[in-house]
Amino acid sequence: MTTTPRLRPCTVIWLVLLALTGLTWFIGQKGTTGLGIVSFVLAVTLFKSQMVADHFMGLKHVRPFWRGLVFGYLVVVCSLIGVAYYVSLS
Amino acid sequence: MQYSSQAVAKPYFIAAIGLFIGQILFGLIIGTQYVIGDFLFPEIPFNVARMVHTNLLIVWLLFGFMGAAYYLVPEEAERELFSPKLAIAMFWIFLVAGALTILGYLLVPYSGLAQMTGNALLPTMGREFLEQPTITKIGIVVVALAFLYNIGMTIITGRKTVVNIVLLTGLTGLAVLFLFSFYNPSNLVLDKMFWWWVVHLWVEGVWELIMGAILAFVLIRLTGVDREIIEKWLYVIIAMALITGIIGTGHHYYWIGTPEYWQWWGSIFSALEPIPFFMMTVFAFTMVNRRRKEHPNKAATLWALGCAVMAFLGAGVWGFLHTLAPVNFYTHGSQITAAHGHMAFYGAYVLIVITMISYAWPHLHHKAPAANGRAQLFEMWSFWIMTISIVFITLFLTGAGILQVYLQRVSDTPLPFMVVQDKIALFYWLRLWTGVIFFVGLCLYVYSFFAKENKSLASS
Amino acid sequence: MRPPFFFAVALRTPRVPEFSLTMTDSVQKPHSDSLPGDFAIWIFIFAELLVFGVFFLAYAFSRANNVELFNESQVHLDRVAGAVNTVVLLTSSYFVVRAVAAIRTDDSRRCGHWLGAAIAMGGVFLVIKMFEFAAKFSAGISLSTNTFFMFYLSLTFFHFMHVILGMVILAAVLLKARGGGYSAADHTGVETGASYWHMVDLVWLILFPLVYVIH
Repeated sequence: MTTTPRLRPCTVIWLVLLALTGLTWFIGQKGTTGLGIVSFVLAVTLFKSQMVADHFMGLKHVRPFWRGLVFGYLVVVCSLIGVAYYVSLS
Repeated sequence: MQYSSQAVAKPYFIAAIGLFIGQILFGLIIGTQYVIGDFLFPEIPFNVARMVHTNLLIVWLLFGFMGAAYYLVPEEAERELFSPKLAIAMFWIFLVAGALTILGYLLVPYSGLAQMTGNALLPTMGREFLEQPTITKIGIVVVALAFLYNIGMTIITGRKTVVNIVLLTGLTGLAVLFLFSFYNPSNLVLDKMFWWWVVHLWVEGVWELIMGAILAFVLIRLTGVDREIIEKWLYVIIAMALITGIIGTGHHYYWIGTPEYWQWWGSIFSALEPIPFFMMTVFAFTMVNRRRKEHPNKAATLWALGCAVMAFLGAGVWGFLHTLAPVNFYTHGSQITAAHGHMAFYGAYVLIVITMISYAWPHLHHKAPAANGRAQLFEMWSFWIMTISIVFITLFLTGAGILQVYLQRVSDTPLPFMVVQDKIALFYWLRLWTGVIFFVGLCLYVYSFFAKENKSLASS
Repeated sequence: MRPPFFFAVALRTPRVPEFSLTMTDSVQKPHSDSLPGDFAIWIFIFAELLVFGVFFLAYAFSRANNVELFNESQVHLDRVAGAVNTVVLLTSSYFVVRAVAAIRTDDSRRCGHWLGAAIAMGGVFLVIKMFEFAAKFSAGISLSTNTFFMFYLSLTFFHFMHVILGMVILAAVLLKARGGGYSAADHTGVETGASYWHMVDLVWLILFPLVYVIH
């Protein structure tokens, strides 16, 4: 009986990040756009960046303050990009 | 004072303060000429007095930096200065050359000075702040090289500390960037572009390294906080200063004929230039709050903290006010610039030199860690008088600048320059009287060097 | 089990770190409360994030004022190259994570291998990017072409320089690791380099959708 080799958590994260990158690229290739699509892309970006911060940079294991700081930064940047996009529609 | 060769700093500090007094006197003259146009005309025209005011500032700050380096480097390197004789020789050369240049400005018409000094052979004169005759510029380079050689050899053969290395980097940068003052292309855009390589990259680049190193040195001595901690702060501060400062040069390239992208580059990077200054303020207060000892030189601590705060206000906040391209479109070359210039130079560079003098002088002159209480009291009074004066000078100039920009550039019916100047004359009067108070503060500062302990007071 | 992050922030009394930043805590306890690596690099990282953040928002709001110009110009970008470079950087970051994991088990050799692989991926990124730049330049595109290309070239070039700096830092760490300079007990240097490299990756993760995808 063989046990399936267990993936390290960081490997799983990496694969998820690659998949999400593919998704973003695919959306770009398809060319569909609109507030909904852009919001989705930005949400994916926010999620990916936070994954890198949490698991690659290791902020998950330090004082919540630092993680909060990076999360706050990402939320502000991504949402303001969203606001700018919304402004551009009108 | 741990090493006898540190004593060469003394004449440098004395010369610095002497020229500082001259600078302020000429400041008062041009302040008066702003409101009484023919004051001292034709003996000292406005353009000459202004040139003397700005050139003296630069020269005395250079004297201060060199004195600071001669005091600081041996102590950090833990050895005597490589050559005290060379340092003294360079002092006299620099002083005489500086004095001759100023006399040249005052006694000979500028074009005559250019002719006398052979400017035609290698034309470098005629540009703001770089008005010095070519031979004076060559003299500055020689002095700078000898100076760098002297402290460089001291550092290389001695203990290498972060403070020393950062200081040496800053001073080397200062010397290297000055070489661009010899480059005088006939294309005006290129000329202006490289002119800023001297002017901007000095005050918003390498001078910040010098300031950071001196501040770090003084704070190590005054607070007794671990060197490692202070050094790390220093690293981060200078890294930020260089990242924002170097590309931030772009904020001078908005309207001189350079490509449009500079408006973006300049705006974004220079908008972040306040960060290193803010970090310097936090750094200074944190170190003083976490001090491990009570240093008797309270005045030096006050100068150091004042330096950090005023540098942030003057260079950081007042710089930010008009650094974004859309704002600068209206404000460039107005009294807003003058307001920023006055507070930034005072806060960052005047105060860092005085901080160093205040720390070093008791060691140099009294063989004691601190001057007597009465002398320190006068120093502190002079700090507050000069600092509050410069704050008001800055506020008055800012008021003048806002009105000027509005009346002359923003309003639907813009007025001519001279008409606007008349309308804002009240601010210039206020600035002039505040300048007089500044001069009183400066006199008090000079007096503090001679103040004796009041025996009857001390005993009571 | 740890509560999800969003709750964690709300539930715990916010412990704002003393601003006294001794910058040495991380040296003493690499796996505890404090940030991985030297604290100084984190000040640097946050400052860099701020610069990039301002740059991104300047792009986004300039775009809002020039939608058509930006949309027309964006068509000329090589989205495949951008996506591939995202993959390359993510992978490089992943290798660095493995390098840190290796040194935590005291395996200097393996740590060095992963670092070497990460640097190589950085090199791949640079090569792809240079092809992209070359294509743009040969098409006559420059900083002065229009606002979109000004931003595209500035942002990607600024990031490009950061990749180079990150590679230099990783190379320095690699050299020290090869010489056995790190151990499970003391590997702050590895974490310092790793943190910086992840920041370079993080910034690109925002840059790619912003400049190449959103239109």
